[in-house]
Amino acid sequence: MKGKGVGRKYRQIFSFTSISAILGVVLTVEALFTESCTKINEFTIGKDFVESQTKLQIIDTFKVNLSTVLLDSIVTSSSKLAIVGSHRDSTFGSVKCESYFDLAYQAFNDIDPRAVYDSAAFVLYYSGYSYGDTISSMTLGIHKLTEKIVSFDNVYSYLYSNESFDYEPDPTGTLTFYPEPNSSDSTISIPVNLLGAELFNLILNKDIKVSSAEWFSDYLKGFVLTSGTSENKSVIAFIADQTHVFLKLYYHLDLEEPEKKEISITIGQVNHQFNHIINDLSGTPLFMIKQEGNIISSVESDNKGFMQGFTGFMPKIQFPSLQNILMENRFKILKAELVFEPVIGSYTDFKLPQYQKMLLYRTDRENRINFNFYLTDNEGHAIFPKFELDDLYGENTRYTFDITNFLNSELADARFNYDNGLLIGLEETEFRTSLDRLLIEGKKPPVKLRLYYLSY
Amino acid sequence: MTMFRQGKTYILISVFLLLLSENIFPQTTSTPYSIFGLGFLESTSIGPNKAMGGTGIAFLSEKSINMTNPASYSGLDSLLSIFEIAVFGKYTLFSTKNENQSLVNANLKYMAMGFRITPWLATSFGFVPYSSIGYHINTEAPVEGTNVNYLKSFSGEGGVNQVYLGGSVKVYKNLSLGVNAAYLFGDVTHSESSNVFNYSLRDVTYVSNFNLNYGLNYHFNLKKWEYLLGFTYNSSKKLNTSNETTIETGTGTEVLKSRIHKYEIPQNFGVGLAVRKDFFMAGIDFERSNWNGINFNNPLIKTRNSNRYSFGVEFPSQGISKGTTKMFFFRFGAEYRESYLIIDNIPISYKAVTFGTGIPLKGALSAINVSLELGQNGTIKKDLFRETFCTLHLDMSLRDLWFRKRRYE
Repeated sequence: MKGKGVGRKYRQIFSFTSISAILGVVLTVEALFTESCTKINEFTIGKDFVESQTKLQIIDTFKVNLSTVLLDSIVTSSSKLAIVGSHRDSTFGSVKCESYFDLAYQAFNDIDPRAVYDSAAFVLYYSGYSYGDTISSMTLGIHKLTEKIVSFDNVYSYLYSNESFDYEPDPTGTLTFYPEPNSSDSTISIPVNLLGAELFNLILNKDIKVSSAEWFSDYLKGFVLTSGTSENKSVIAFIADQTHVFLKLYYHLDLEEPEKKEISITIGQVNHQFNHIINDLSGTPLFMIKQEGNIISSVESDNKGFMQGFTGFMPKIQFPSLQNILMENRFKILKAELVFEPVIGSYTDFKLPQYQKMLLYRTDRENRINFNFYLTDNEGHAIFPKFELDDLYGENTRYTFDITNFLNSELADARFNYDNGLLIGLEETEFRTSLDRLLIEGKKPPVKLRLYYLSY
Repeated sequence: MTMFRQGKTYILISVFLLLLSENIFPQTTSTPYSIFGLGFLESTSIGPNKAMGGTGIAFLSEKSINMTNPASYSGLDSLLSIFEIAVFGKYTLFSTKNENQSLVNANLKYMAMGFRITPWLATSFGFVPYSSIGYHINTEAPVEGTNVNYLKSFSGEGGVNQVYLGGSVKVYKNLSLGVNAAYLFGDVTHSESSNVFNYSLRDVTYVSNFNLNYGLNYHFNLKKWEYLLGFTYNSSKKLNTSNETTIETGTGTEVLKSRIHKYEIPQNFGVGLAVRKDFFMAGIDFERSNWNGINFNNPLIKTRNSNRYSFGVEFPSQGISKGTTKMFFFRFGAEYRESYLIIDNIPISYKAVTFGTGIPLKGALSAINVSLELGQNGTIKKDLFRETFCTLHLDMSLRDLWFRKRRYE
């Protein structure tokens, strides 16, 4: 009996082993052959037998409306860039940029009684960004504010491009120079010798005005860096953070061998630094935009759409007849692309905005924008356009945005709301600090919605 | 008790293999011809018969379960129960006039069990494929309104399986009758898709129905030779269908209106004749399936009544009358199957030669049957293609003395 039991067990194990062996052989044979076989995604034999039940076509005949929206103000505080200068042309009119900031208080060290004041200047570092003709000379002035910089935005304490503060009409210092925006670490110094002398004496005499932050901010409320009345041909950005903007007071100790010394005062709160824009659209295609409620159709603006971040221009795209697609049965939009071209010749003298930072934002009937509502792909990553540049004739320069997700979500409720348009813009930080312009061709060819349409 | 324990082992093995077949064996293309109808019709011949050109209508289930003819179960040994399981691996070279492409596929083939209940009644049950669909065809489709094409693939999977329970009754000394009650079930799935545009349309038709096939076996001795005669029959049967067509895109899946596809299995009858002396055996089969009148609703194809012819020979390694426990069996045969499909007026026929051997295990009670099938299917005429294939079949036939043990314990 015992022997039988062992035999039985043996037989069971044997069955398992044999079956595993068979499986092993089959898998090995298969593996050996699979290596040498046609890859499954390359197998084509039998293609005469297949019968398509679906049809894919491209439709690009749905009308696309192009207009330009003007944002009445944009946040410009805390950008860490002081954008100054002015520029005039027949497209965006005259643009004048001024930058406001205040100074940080510091507990000043005692100055040696042998100190002799020499000079003072605002030292500014180029950020690398410029707009317009930087070959011409530029004149900038610095003025003392007659009121403190305060935010009227109770929620975020932001300062906006349309805000300004009173300042003394006469500059505290001016400088005319040839900009070198691209040379890194290079600086300009705007001499403010009188202001410097006054401040030096206050520090030397330990005046009450320099004894505390409060007193100091009452005494020096802030400054504005501006073109003033001078007509400049470019706009330059300087780095505006606490390690790059300084009021520097230079003095020396009156010894046998004079010893040079300086006092550096950095800018104050970063959120008190902001840029103000004065934009005059007289004589431009956009002249009527404010009267028309901050939106103008491309038909009324030279068949173009206008984008310029800092001044707040954003082209708006709408699909007035897309609702009609819903009358069709049994279809899917596999892919939807928004295709547009920059106006030929519009980017020879001006560089185009960085397409790697271009985004589409959802908007509504009131043309509102929320910089968090840009179009994204399925993974939630921002969608940037594909950009093709035709160096030779410009005829094939174009932007292509994949708006599949947007369109499908808009159509999902079997209703397309025409008011839900798209604004063409830049990433938020870029938008707030860049004057780079894009003129979108609105007629030849018009902006196109290209649908890859599957019917079944 | 032993019976149950052994039974459990087999059930465990079966479950294990079913899981394997789902997960490990890749669903590879078997043949683009399977795009039509119920797909490629699998032969019901199993085990040793596979090596004999699929011949088996007249054979009794002695070494192995012969589900081709349910009357054959009466040949089951009264003391042995048989458990069989088989796998296959197939290499196919597809040729058109201009090119060759090749594929490999492998999978579990069938499982079956058989034993005698009373001296006059024997039974078998199991799982065998009826047909299978497997193709993956890559092609280009136009983007209409442009001169651009995009890559698109068409694929098919599924097939009809059957689980059957059969019984065979010895009505007279040498005459037995049998019936298999089978439940046919499965799906016919065709899909088309594009990775570029991320869509797929899947047209799945679930099919099912019960089906009976009948068999008769009669054998007699004449001048030291034993002659066996077999007949099989099953009537045509419409399959119940339910269709689920869906389209999937990046935005989700939508269920579309059900499509109507009709599927039917044909009336079929077969005749077989076999002769036997000691350990030598040979047989021939003739089978006819009446597909004519079964319409697949495809303008490209027609159906016709099809015939199958086969023969097979089996002989032992040690002289036909010795019979020891270490005896091998050698087998060979050939098969010719007219197709029921006529594509573009060209019939698609299947021809194969087979070789095989039965290797005894554990005192000749159990065996491993290995067979090799070399054949062709289709033709390269008129832009069609020919398949030249080589299939390795491996099956295990495990026999146990269940009932005797139970009596002793």
